[in-house]
This record gives sequence, C-alpha cells and structure tokens, in this order.
Amino acid sequence: MPKRCCWSMLLAATLPFPTCAAEIYTIDPEHSDLRFSISHFLFLTTHGRFDKISGKVTLDRVAKNGAVGIDVEASAINTDHAKRDENLRSPNFLNTTKHPLIGYQSSAIQFVNDTPTSVEGKLTLLDVTKPVTLTINNFKCDTRPTDMKERCSATANAQIKRSDFGMTYALPLVGDEIKLEFEIEAYKD
Amino acid sequence: MLNRNCVAVLLFASLPGIAHAAESYTIDPAHTYPHFSVSHLGFSTMQGRFDRSSGKVTLDRAAKKGTVEIAIDAGSISTGWTKRDEHLSGPDFFNAAEFPTVTYKSSEVKFKGDNPSSVEGTLTLLGVSKPVTLSIDAFKCGTNPMNQKELCGAAASAQIKRSDFGMKYGLPGAGDDIKLVFEIEAYKD
Repeated sequence: MPKRCCWSMLLAATLPFPTCAAEIYTIDPEHSDLRFSISHFLFLTTHGRFDKISGKVTLDRVAKNGAVGIDVEASAINTDHAKRDENLRSPNFLNTTKHPLIGYQSSAIQFVNDTPTSVEGKLTLLDVTKPVTLTINNFKCDTRPTDMKERCSATANAQIKRSDFGMTYALPLVGDEIKLEFEIEAYKD
Repeated sequence: MLNRNCVAVLLFASLPGIAHAAESYTIDPAHTYPHFSVSHLGFSTMQGRFDRSSGKVTLDRAAKKGTVEIAIDAGSISTGWTKRDEHLSGPDFFNAAEFPTVTYKSSEVKFKGDNPSSVEGTLTLLGVSKPVTLSIDAFKCGTNPMNQKELCGAAASAQIKRSDFGMKYGLPGAGDDIKLVFEIEAYKD
C-alpha cells in the first residue's frame, strides 16, 4: 500500500459506477474532526483529537449504497499537552514522519430506509490495514442557510485495539482500546 | 472578575469547619479537560476544549461534604481551527481580553454512598453568574503507578444556554444549548 496513499483519491478510482441518484460530498475540514479517548493508568480516561481531516462521501439513498474515503493527518494530533503530543507523533506511537496519514476506506454502507446506519471498511494505521466498522449516528442532510448548499453531517463511532496495528508502547498503563469518533460535515459537490 | 489567586483563597475562607476526614486535591492541568459541545447550524456538533485550567477539590467522604473550584483560561479555547478559535476568544463570544477567566464554584456537593453524585454551584462567564448543577457521571480514585500518588478522576457534565450569560452572537445557527463536560484528574495534596 503506498505510504502517502490518499484514501479520498482511491475512493474516486474504485467507486462502483454511480447510479443517477448517487451524490458526492466533500468533507468540510473546518467542521469535521476525529476524536479519540483512551484509558489512562487503568482507571482514568485521556481525550484527544486530530485537527486535520479530509475526504469524500458518496451516497445513493435510492439504491442504498455509497462509499466513504477519509484521510486523517497523523501529525495533527492534539491532546492539549505539547510534550505528550510530541511523544504521540514519535516512533513510540504514531511515527508520523514515516506514516503521515491514517486512512479509512469503506467497502459497504448499510442503510435503514434511506439513512446510513453503519459503514464496513478498513482502517490503515502505521501501514497496517484492519477491518473496522463505523456505527453511524445523528445522520442529517439539509441546506445550509448561510450559503444554501446541501450539507450532510453524521457522527461515526468505532472501537479499536492499537496493538492490532502494532502500536504497543506503554501497554497497559496507556490503554489498548481506543474509542474513535468521527464528527463529519460534508457539502455536496 | 476576580483573578485565579483570589478565587483559590476564597475557597478556603468560605469552607465550613473542615472535618478530620476532609481531603484536599489539586487539579492536574495535564489531564483535565473542560470540553464543550455546540450545534453547528443543526448539522455537526462542534466539540471544543479549553487547554488551560486549574482548581481545587475537597472531599470529606465520611461527612459527605465537599467543595469544587475550577478556573478556566477563556483565551485557551481550542476547536481545531485557528480562525475560529480567534473569533471565539474575541468580543463576539468569550471576550477573553475583558473576561480572562471562566469560573465554577460549588455551594454543595451531593453524595450517593461514598461517591459524589452531583455538585451545585455557580458558573461565572462574561461577568455573569448563574446557578449550574454538575452531574458527576464517573468517579474513581486510585494510585498513579508512575509516582505512587493518590489520584481521583471524575467526569462531570452540565447543560447551559449561552444566552443566559449574555453570549448571543450567531444565534440560532451557532447553538444556544451548550453541553459542558469536565474530565478532571486531581492529585491528593
């Protein structure tokens, strides 16, 4: 897998031939991010986020299929503590010099009626790719009053074990299980 | 607006006669996160954070009493987008130049069994003080295995309307209802 793989470009290359009802949305980086929480010293929780995210979503609510491709800039990690963020970017954790992007690409989207409820796909972290399913909540599409453009938004949750991706430093005092939450707002192309 | 030192002194001046079992804890700023979340035009939920905070907690679990006092640096707001953070610190929102500190001061801590379950107190924002009750959603104490010090952690939440404090810019698109979540770690003094 190319190191600087841009999942959103791969999405465009691999998308099934779109039906007439397929709509493409670009993730708005100003109103989207990836948040995470992790156990700290076995009984407390540390929170953080990645401040730079980009990608594309296609949705065909008639045919009930779609695709999601997200790139997260690993060095944009932000846990409100400069020294800790440096450590997290280092080879101990995210090794951002060697692995600048964390990527998610869907293989299928599940719908209930015309609302997406979950996404099956693969997360690539430290160049290791594993299946991860995102649970979709708070899905909504509407016209944004400030620019009259159609927007969709959703929260997508998942839980991973960082050791599955080869990130084993400081286990178990810094937890293995990480709760991920993508908060996504995307405008129609 | 009182500065942080004044508020910390007030805490001890106003405390009822301390029972023998009262224990004092100092908030660890590296692992304490005052978060807030607010609706963006009814689409995504923007989550932000204040990167600098301080405070003290006292707990008397035998007498089921306690106090909480938190001071938050309004200018340390962080939402992952520099231009937005600058706007939020400015006169339209937090007006950090004139009101540098957001404070919460308890009047009563309620217990369920040995553990605090809610805190009644006053939130002061933009020079306006209003009663706000914090719900304690998680509470745990233990020993930090790195330094063997006693540590307590809690998650506390509340919901406020920013317009109650005179913060009306951008309503209703930037929501009025703000969910506050304080993730707190504090070391025993």
